Amino acid sequence: MFDLEKSIAGWRKQMLAAGINTPVPLEELENHLRDEIEQQLKSGTNAPLAFEAAVQEIGKANMLKTEFEKVDETKVARTLKQYRAVMVACLGVESLFWTTCLLLKIGRFSEITAVQQMSGLAAVAVMILLAGIGLSGHGPVSLSRRVRDLICISRGRLLALLGVWFFFYVAEPAGFLFILPKFDGGPLWLMLPPAGILFGFIGGLGKATSRETAMAAP
Amino acid sequence: MIRKELVAASAEPLILSLLAKGESYGYAIIQEVKARSDGRLQWTDGMLYPVLHRMESRGLIKSRWGESETGRKRKYYSLKKDGKTAMARHHEQWSLVHSVLAGLQKEQYV
Repeated sequence: MFDLEKSIAGWRKQMLAAGINTPVPLEELENHLRDEIEQQLKSGTNAPLAFEAAVQEIGKANMLKTEFEKVDETKVARTLKQYRAVMVACLGVESLFWTTCLLLKIGRFSEITAVQQMSGLAAVAVMILLAGIGLSGHGPVSLSRRVRDLICISRGRLLALLGVWFFFYVAEPAGFLFILPKFDGGPLWLMLPPAGILFGFIGGLGKATSRETAMAAP
Repeated sequence: MIRKELVAASAEPLILSLLAKGESYGYAIIQEVKARSDGRLQWTDGMLYPVLHRMESRGLIKSRWGESETGRKRKYYSLKKDGKTAMARHHEQWSLVHSVLAGLQKEQYV
């Protein structure tokens, strides 16, 4: 004897086993299944056939799971986008702060020389440049997805290396940097490597998570 | 039968346009699409929900749990402000594609 409730419970178990284990989608799908069964029964189909037809209409569990995973990716991408916006805002405020201090020679910067002032401003400019490249999320598009993601995530490290190279081989020998504790404009340069890693990493993650969230056919 | 790619591309504008008429739920959306296309626009029913959830996470639509006539819990979706903007954009783009196609088709019969 066919038991509709038992069959629905079995279908639910199959969905759970396939990985659709968050309550909202599962409940929604079950409601849909019940609506379809009701409709089939009204049109005169017997219960076992109505159940089979409704299950087929809903689709395979693994396909549904893949699509629901894409929804999660979209949510992560949106969160990262918000983080990026916050970071850009913070960087803007910070850059404005350092630039104002350096230009108007405020506080600890009151006795800096013109060279120190230039060095500090250059550090702020390079940091903005690093952040711009890191947070922009732009990257080569013709490569495979995995290679592209690797490039995006490691881009921060490359930028950091560039910063370190600039620090030791260009800025320091040229006398633009100063030895601590008289290091007024200099510490800004020290912030470049970690900033490069952070911005590059967030930019790369954003790129990686926003991939392939295109809509599938319902 | 309409191609899968076209079905996928038309899902969002269709859902937005249906919800513009008032709040609705998954099963009713599918039934209305089936009726309006004489059954030629075939959706895999379950696949509608990831699309709805994605549209919700993008801020185009919102949802609330309500009760059906039979007392069962049911999730109703409705349009948000961003959804209305997105719908207008879709209509503009689809109208353009339609007018280009219709123009070309007309020329073939002249």
